[in-house]
Amino acid sequence: METQRKVLIIDDDPDIVEAMKVVLESKKYQVVVAKNGEEGLKQVKLAKPDLVILDVMMETSDKGFDVARQIKSDKNSKEIPIIMLTAIKEKTGLDFKNEAGDEVWLPVDDYCDKPLNPEQLILKVELFLKDK
Amino acid sequence: MESNAFQEGLVERLSWLIWLRWLAVIGALLTVLFVRQGLKFNLPGFPLYVIILALFIYNIVFFFLLIRVKKKSLAWVNKIANSQISLDLLCLAALIHFSGGIENPFIFYFIFHMIIASILLSRRHSFLQAAFGVLLFSLVVILEYLGVFPHYCLRGFIISCQYHNPLYLGGVSFVFVSTLFIAVYLATSISNRLRQREKVLEQANEQLRAKDRIKSEYVLHVSHDIKEHLAAIQGCLEPVVAKITGELNPKQLDLIQRAVHRTGKLMFYVKALLEITRIKLSRQIKMEYFSFGATLSEAISGVTGKAQEKNITLHSVLEPSIDKIRGSKEHIQETLTNLLANSVKYTPRNGKISIVVQDKGNRILVAISDNGIGIPQIELPRIFEEFYRASNAKEVERDGTGLGLSIAKQIIEIHHGKIWVESEEGKGSTFHIELPK
Repeated sequence: METQRKVLIIDDDPDIVEAMKVVLESKKYQVVVAKNGEEGLKQVKLAKPDLVILDVMMETSDKGFDVARQIKSDKNSKEIPIIMLTAIKEKTGLDFKNEAGDEVWLPVDDYCDKPLNPEQLILKVELFLKDK
Repeated sequence: MESNAFQEGLVERLSWLIWLRWLAVIGALLTVLFVRQGLKFNLPGFPLYVIILALFIYNIVFFFLLIRVKKKSLAWVNKIANSQISLDLLCLAALIHFSGGIENPFIFYFIFHMIIASILLSRRHSFLQAAFGVLLFSLVVILEYLGVFPHYCLRGFIISCQYHNPLYLGGVSFVFVSTLFIAVYLATSISNRLRQREKVLEQANEQLRAKDRIKSEYVLHVSHDIKEHLAAIQGCLEPVVAKITGELNPKQLDLIQRAVHRTGKLMFYVKALLEITRIKLSRQIKMEYFSFGATLSEAISGVTGKAQEKNITLHSVLEPSIDKIRGSKEHIQETLTNLLANSVKYTPRNGKISIVVQDKGNRILVAISDNGIGIPQIELPRIFEEFYRASNAKEVERDGTGLGLSIAKQIIEIHHGKIWVESEEGKGSTFHIELPK
């Protein structure tokens, strides 16, 4: 039997999390939730998800970028794809500490503007998990 | 900031002075020619032409100095202004000496130099220049009087030579000297007042800019917060509409679909508002070289579907010499898409849209024309204002943000380009964009 794929959602907005959870669970994904960046990093180690959906603004306005960097710099988790919930424009528009557009600085696999409609969400998740 | 603006003004006026000097060279040359050849006055040609040549040569030197020196400190600019005026006074005094001295009515041309000094220099320096002018004038008059310098009489213009008549010398000198100082006093009073007013205006402008920034930051904050909540609302409604949570009866589905539709519209609006506010606040975007042709093609393909639905023909001509231009590809593409989408939206079925891009050396000129509904003449000046929508556009589409064209304008202006429109109601519109390469 095919093992259930595990998606970790790191987002501090409970409503957004709930909506995404409903969508993903309808496609038989197992969903783990972390309501801030720190908790998210713990869950990456504990739950060993197949994919991370990551919000940007949590404890700080660029916490998501920190979290992404940490996930990608750890050899145990660097293979986990990350979908970042932000528009690519916001990446340059908001006053983040570093210059945007740097692959090393922003090591994520995809960006999406919030909210992701159900079809897009499923499509993106499937895209990253189909080869696994 | 202020001293910078002041300095720029000064540099600009120095260029103006150089331009005036070219006229002075021509004027002096023609006058000497006319007086010597036409009126047959016995004046020494050689020294007069040498002085005019000197005037010409140092004007060339100043002309290139002003172009070549990139970093112009205020002290440097002041020094150049002072030297120019001093040299001009010297030349004028020499010309006067060789053409009749105190009997030459052109001595009153010293006033022009005083006015120029008052515009360019500080009050103290203007008075010093006036003193220098008086010194030169006195030297000419006294040395001619004493016979140290020869006197060239303007016989024919005056009945008898006056250069050794003390009463005449005293009278003219008094009027001359007082005229010079009064001219400087009056001109510096006016120009000081103007400078002060300029400073006040600059400060007021700065305050307005600061206030506008605060307003924009406020708008950014509010719209960002609204967007967060909207995203959650949309996120919760969409799985329901997609029936992921189970079947809905037709009435439920209809109402939720309406809610989703309106949320989508509001989201679009909030995003446009966020974008224009961000662009306004940043005033700077990442610039790189990108292919304009490819970007235009992408923008065109973005609207092709909608155009085909209405059977609108899209025709584009790009001059082959246009290759890469410097700017933000993403923003330029967005602007082109935006204008094209507008054209498609406001052009009736079977209409025509043409895009012409011309190479203008260091700039490109884009013209997007349609034969759509056009814009009423009276509304044209307001069309790029935020939230403004033309009355006939509202009839075609009830809800628009009224932000599309103002976003386009902001983007083009950040690129140091220009955007403008020509339109006739009922016949169509042409949007022009001029962009540096």
